[in-house]
Amino acid sequence: MGLISGVFMGMIFGIALMAGWRHMMRYRSTKRIAKAADIKILGSLNRDDLKKICGDNFPIWISFPVYEQVKWLNKELSKLWPFVADAAELVIKESVEPLLEEYRPPGITSLKFSKLSLGNVAPKIEGIRVQSLKQGQITMDIDFRWGGDPSIILGVEAAMVASIPIQLKDLQVFTVIRVIFQLAEEIPCISAVVVALLSEPKPRIDYTLKAVGGSLTAIPGIADMIDDTVDSIITDMLQWPHRIVVPIGGIPVDTSELELKPQGKVAVTIVKANNLKNMEMIGKSDPYAVVHIKPLFKVKTNVVDNNLNPVWNQTFELIAEDKETQSLIFEVFDKDIGQDKRLGIVKLPLIDLEADTPKEAELRLLPSLDMLKIKDKKDRGSITVKVLYHEFNKEEQLSALEEEKRFLEERKKLKEAGVIGSTMDAIDGAASLVGSGVGMVGTGIGAGAGLVTAGVGTGVGLVGSGFGAVGSGLSKAGKFMGRTITGHSSKRSGTTTPVNSVQENGGAKPVQ
Amino acid sequence: MGVISTIFGFCGFGVGISSGLVIGYFLFIYFQPTDVKNPEIRPLVERDSETLQQMLPEIPLWVKCPDYDRVDWLNKFLELMWPYLDKAICKTAKNIAKPIIAEQIPKYKIESVEFETLTLGTLPPTFQGMKVYVTDEKELIMEPCLKWAANPNVTIGVKAFGLKATVQVVDLQVFAQPRITLKPLVPAFPCFANIYVSLMEKPHVDFGLKLVGADLMSIPGLYRFVQELIKTQVANMYLWPKTLEVPILDPSKAYRRPVGILHVKVVKAMNLKKKDLLGASDPYVKLKITEDKLPSKKTTVKHKNLNPEWNEEYNFTVRDPESQAVELAVYDWEQVGKHDKMGMNVVPLKELTPEEPSVKTLDLLKNMDLNDGQNEKSRGQLVVEFIYKPFKEEDLPKSFEESQTVQKAPENTPAGGGLLVVIVHEAQDVEGKHHTNPYARILFRGEERKTKHVKKNRDPRWEEEFQFMLEEPPTNDRLHVEVCSVSSRIGLLHPKETLGYIDINLSDVVSNKRINEKYHLIDSKNGRIQIELQWRTA
Repeated sequence: MGLISGVFMGMIFGIALMAGWRHMMRYRSTKRIAKAADIKILGSLNRDDLKKICGDNFPIWISFPVYEQVKWLNKELSKLWPFVADAAELVIKESVEPLLEEYRPPGITSLKFSKLSLGNVAPKIEGIRVQSLKQGQITMDIDFRWGGDPSIILGVEAAMVASIPIQLKDLQVFTVIRVIFQLAEEIPCISAVVVALLSEPKPRIDYTLKAVGGSLTAIPGIADMIDDTVDSIITDMLQWPHRIVVPIGGIPVDTSELELKPQGKVAVTIVKANNLKNMEMIGKSDPYAVVHIKPLFKVKTNVVDNNLNPVWNQTFELIAEDKETQSLIFEVFDKDIGQDKRLGIVKLPLIDLEADTPKEAELRLLPSLDMLKIKDKKDRGSITVKVLYHEFNKEEQLSALEEEKRFLEERKKLKEAGVIGSTMDAIDGAASLVGSGVGMVGTGIGAGAGLVTAGVGTGVGLVGSGFGAVGSGLSKAGKFMGRTITGHSSKRSGTTTPVNSVQENGGAKPVQ
Repeated sequence: MGVISTIFGFCGFGVGISSGLVIGYFLFIYFQPTDVKNPEIRPLVERDSETLQQMLPEIPLWVKCPDYDRVDWLNKFLELMWPYLDKAICKTAKNIAKPIIAEQIPKYKIESVEFETLTLGTLPPTFQGMKVYVTDEKELIMEPCLKWAANPNVTIGVKAFGLKATVQVVDLQVFAQPRITLKPLVPAFPCFANIYVSLMEKPHVDFGLKLVGADLMSIPGLYRFVQELIKTQVANMYLWPKTLEVPILDPSKAYRRPVGILHVKVVKAMNLKKKDLLGASDPYVKLKITEDKLPSKKTTVKHKNLNPEWNEEYNFTVRDPESQAVELAVYDWEQVGKHDKMGMNVVPLKELTPEEPSVKTLDLLKNMDLNDGQNEKSRGQLVVEFIYKPFKEEDLPKSFEESQTVQKAPENTPAGGGLLVVIVHEAQDVEGKHHTNPYARILFRGEERKTKHVKKNRDPRWEEEFQFMLEEPPTNDRLHVEVCSVSSRIGLLHPKETLGYIDINLSDVVSNKRINEKYHLIDSKNGRIQIELQWRTA
């Protein structure tokens, strides 16, 4: 009796113990999971959440901007800056100087930093935004501002003339940097980093250039030229959708996915223009149209003499890399002696086009793309275009890529031969400008060879107004500069950009 | 009878309880699912006030304290990266654990130990705020508030004697508030030499440990004991002021201190090319050591001489004999215009044997490009004598660790006296009426020292050190520091200006040995100056 009751009691006790244990397990487990969920949710609060939690006691120091503030990072950065600047100066000097040497245009014997200091003022990060636009990628937008006081002096030595040091001062950079991290399943988990500047809002990069021991403004137009060159380089190399891809060490990955690739082809037929503005004193304008997607690849129509309603009917093919953000830019110029004047400009975003469907449009010409700068509301006429967008398939894409590469290489070769220059590198541009300056100082004045004349107003120098024997490397450098300017768009109103020759034949020939 | 019945009763109870435990185990625990589910996360807005109430203790610090910054962008970044990070970490952990397990197993008569599952779960660590401290020292201090409430599933299967047991770790939760100090800051990437990590409070650790399905941690009392044990263990190791030190780079290397002296004697040149139209060339030699900011040195010009003899000596400080080189270039001096380069050559320092004089006859080249055909043309030779003298160990400046704390005064310090070191770091917001080219002037016992001028800068950085040898401690002395500015032009109109001054009582330095502080300048609007003072005694 005792045994049975004992067994029975024991069994109940044992089962009860186990049940109790399980209860404890469940209890603790749910508690932990609930806490985990809480913490997860508290890791990304928004305004409404916080309102709900805090009720009326909403803390006034909290705000929720699109770009999250990073005061702590700025504090650390300003503390770290002198050391970063020191380290960066050394790295820049070591890595850029060989580059400079490589891009050194003919006529210049040495190109070195004679002073490189990034200054005392640290850059500021106004905000950071993290999003995931694609599976396996993290997109980080950094609102970056730097009103720095760097002092960079580029020592330029040219044959025949004494060296001209050029100083860059008062740099101001306001831009949103987009950094895309390509994720991988191996430590450090990032296989590649893509860096670009967001085009919207437009990057603002201001600086002052000064010739040490002489004024740069003495050479007319040179500051504007440098400005425009740098601007077009940035647009062409860094501004979204253009980007720089940096593979991160250790993991061999295919970064070709990240590179900007030709996505499609746009066949543009420039049909005609109507009611153009008359720019000439005698007779009528001699209009021609220029169209591009990237400033590096520009095409232009024939000049129709003395006509305000010209008909061109010319077709061009342009490569597009990113339908979402790129646009076709149409410009109409008046061919003139000296500086060509711009009659109007208009933008056609590619996103408005449907693939493989021809579209005809009549676009109203504007004085400038920058709406803020438009002052006169006068009608500038219109341009009629037919556009056909064709999306590439894989093979076409590859061949287009090859073509582009070949074109760039050819251009580079020509440049190396000293025949033409293309906008390949910021410093390159600056160097070529210096070259031009030298060319002018050396042979330009009086001789009339390779003369660089300044444009009207904010005009850009035009090469080749002094025709004649251009023999020396110095004047080549001068031309080089001229080429550099012709190969880019001009952003400011009132600046006219002459395109002296068609570039579809693989680069421009020197203007003689 | 009663006794036997009681004994039976006890025996029965024993049998009953063990069988009951077994039945209960199979009934309640064995068939419990062992996989870890993702917690269901409801948006906060949908919750009722009761669950919100429970949430309150976990509210992030950035909500509660204004001095914490929100780092939700970092959380988002981590969240997006977490699946990849999880896989990478687990893979690495497995790879590391495998050989260790294989080595240990034979000792314990265990057949196999392996990870059945290993994942850190779907929940990434979150940062509930970031706080930074700004000090006057060369360091960065940040305090992130780290909370990792994870749902990992780590199951280890152990096989021994034909039986298999599993140990499972679930619901790991770690809350900690580490202080991360990056110091010292150095002018070489990544810009800091060491990372110090220490915990400001005892960390909170919670987890479930399931042995064959049963969670040991839910045995009342045991969890508390284990948690306390872990906390004390961790606290013993890393609780502030104890720190975990992670060296990143050698600070002495980053600073690139001089390690030796190079004596260069330019002896002569031979068979130089004629460059001038009239008469012979006028050669001189420019010398430069690479990776140095100093301007190059020049010999005298030997007029109208194609075989000049200079016999001039120059000294260079060497920072890295492995990578540095001496550049020698012969130029043709011109009265007007640019000086022509007649040829050059480079001697890497690693080609020189220390302490041994070596005379080299160098062929002059057009440039250092090996493939340049123009280099084959003879441009003459240059004879140069080199001696590289590395500093002896004892000459070397004291290692960095020692310089952090106050160094010993030099040998010849008088007894009872010492060395007063004044380091003028920087100033902020100094402004002159007409010009701001600030320099600091230090007056101590009638002795005057000056820093270099910084041109047109309201926030000058000097980083200059001055030393005063003293017979007795300067207990009753004052140090007068004045920030002045002189016009950059020959300023007759606006002569010297004082931008502010400060008198520092030195008795504190004597008692503290070292003070590093920012002082507000007197007679200045907002100006501040950072001065470090050290009192070094023998």
